[in-house]
Amino acid sequence: MRANDAINGLILIIFAVAMIALTAAFPEFPGQHYGPSLFPRVLGALLIICGGLLMWRGLAARRAGAPLVYMAAWTRQPWRVGSFFLMLVSLLIYILVAETVGFIPIAFLCMLALFLWFGVRPITAVIVGVVATLTIHWFFATLLRVPLPRGWLDAIL
Amino acid sequence: MDALLTAAALVFDLKVFWVIIASAAFGMFVGAMPGLTATMATALLVPVTFFMDPVPALGAIVTATAMAIFAGDIPAAMLRIPGTPASAAYTDESYAMSKKGELDLNLGVNLVFSVMGGMVGVAILIFCAPALAEAAINFSSFEYFWLALLGLTCAVFMTADDPLKGITSLVFGLAINCIGIDPTAGFPRFTFGSVELLQGISFIPAMIGMFALSELLRGAVSVDEKGAVLAQKIGNIFHGVWGVFKTYWFNFLRGSALGVVIGALPGAGADIAAWISFAISKRFSKTPEKFGTGHIEGIVDATSANNSALGGAWIPALVFGIPGDSITAIVIGVLYMKGMNPGPTVFLQNPQFIYAVFIIFVLANVLMLPLGWAAIKSAKQILRVPRNILLPIILLFCLVGAYSMTNSPFGVIIMLALGVIGWLMEENGFPIAPAILGLVLGEMLEQNFMTSMIKADGNALFFFERPIAACLGVATLLIWGAMIWKGLRGRRATLAPPNTDPAGA
Repeated sequence: MRANDAINGLILIIFAVAMIALTAAFPEFPGQHYGPSLFPRVLGALLIICGGLLMWRGLAARRAGAPLVYMAAWTRQPWRVGSFFLMLVSLLIYILVAETVGFIPIAFLCMLALFLWFGVRPITAVIVGVVATLTIHWFFATLLRVPLPRGWLDAIL
Repeated sequence: MDALLTAAALVFDLKVFWVIIASAAFGMFVGAMPGLTATMATALLVPVTFFMDPVPALGAIVTATAMAIFAGDIPAAMLRIPGTPASAAYTDESYAMSKKGELDLNLGVNLVFSVMGGMVGVAILIFCAPALAEAAINFSSFEYFWLALLGLTCAVFMTADDPLKGITSLVFGLAINCIGIDPTAGFPRFTFGSVELLQGISFIPAMIGMFALSELLRGAVSVDEKGAVLAQKIGNIFHGVWGVFKTYWFNFLRGSALGVVIGALPGAGADIAAWISFAISKRFSKTPEKFGTGHIEGIVDATSANNSALGGAWIPALVFGIPGDSITAIVIGVLYMKGMNPGPTVFLQNPQFIYAVFIIFVLANVLMLPLGWAAIKSAKQILRVPRNILLPIILLFCLVGAYSMTNSPFGVIIMLALGVIGWLMEENGFPIAPAILGLVLGEMLEQNFMTSMIKADGNALFFFERPIAACLGVATLLIWGAMIWKGLRGRRATLAPPNTDPAGA
């Protein structure tokens, strides 16, 4: 997804203005001219300048006939769009439910879903999914002692 | 001398040896797989190295990256797909050689000159870093402010074909870095009441997101695309390499030297070193018309340069804490985690670690010869690993890696958010490397800027009062001037609508 620079610039300016607005609440220290708000304000100002230049450039390109948003070829193929979002959704599901359900079931299900979507044969998908999940769990949880969430399997592990 | 012996004792340990062998194999694999880069190998290694002693941790990173940069040459020659961006400069040339039936010679030259280029890089690193550190010991906040700024400026100047987007990316990185407790007054900024944001954006999950997740997202939409493997038997790859060296020894020296310099410049790493040295090779060649037809000359330059750049990048990273490329940007994060804050003092306080890094660098390059040979021999098996199985496994690895840096889903949230941002940035032509550099150098820049401002009481002239600070400051301002001038001149050219699809999918 390639947006016209005018859009990119506008987003940056909004982001920068919000950042500067937030610095208004930062405390000043008596006798000290330069507080925690100075650096973010300098950066915000720079971002506004960059955003302005980008907008100016993007509008010029727009007048020359450039589209507002250009979508790559794969965005018109539902299977590829699905692949893209399935990657993100599996991460999101992990963030939301891993602490209750536990690492092993969630990791296995996410892997299985991705394998099947990518066209791996079901039997291979199940075997690789189990092996990969258990290997990574063993490597990080047992060997490196990362407290991966145990969840439902708490009693067994 | 004592420190050198201590360092040798630290390195020549069975456990360290196994770590090095394992990370070498890992590096070879990641480098040889198209779509997986050397930076990604480093980012994925960090969660693992987190639990190691400093020497094996650094050894793992040094070895894996050296191997990955070489291994990227293998699919370039066999599939016409560079394994890492560092091999992209001469992929077409390599493939043209393979089609002529010179695959053996090409791989042999790539391996031998990668090893030798890497050695030149290490030699210059060993020679320059301690000397520079001695000079740097007297630096004050003014010098460090200018150094950080100069480093960031170089990053924009070197990486971006579009300086405006480079600067934007850099400032964005610096802005993200403002989240968390501010370095001078200790006031929590932009945390919105979140306890986890107090410590700021954790650097490693951010790296995994921007470099690995965004790459995986690009890979996911083209998971079924494959290159055609050349059906050629691989024979004796070392046959004829000596002849190439006798003819093109000067190209080797020039490529390696150039690689170190470009590697040492902040923001520019092995890939840019390869592009520039390939272009220079063509420009000064006696037979430029042969380039593009499967000619070995440019490959000698570029394959030496991308490996020597690795060593070069460590010079500013160790001496000033300013990363020379995106790999050393991660390394600096690792150094801080291990309590050996990069800078001239580490040369005084922990010289044995510095020497250990040097020894491992040499060792990794020596090991590259047999391991590289083995990787070439088994290349067909490596390249046959299906991507639709590999991608989900790497995703899981990223997820666990990010999780283990914070021991909470917070790391995964950072990875997801910055991965999507990184993907959007690349899609829209904003380079990622400056943003990462901003994230790494942000605190150093702000701390030295604030300290200097308070010392100088806002008087800008103080920033130029000390001689070295003045030189650095003037150099920085000159580069800015050059960029603005270039920007004004090049304005017309950029008005044309961009209609190429960078993802190529």
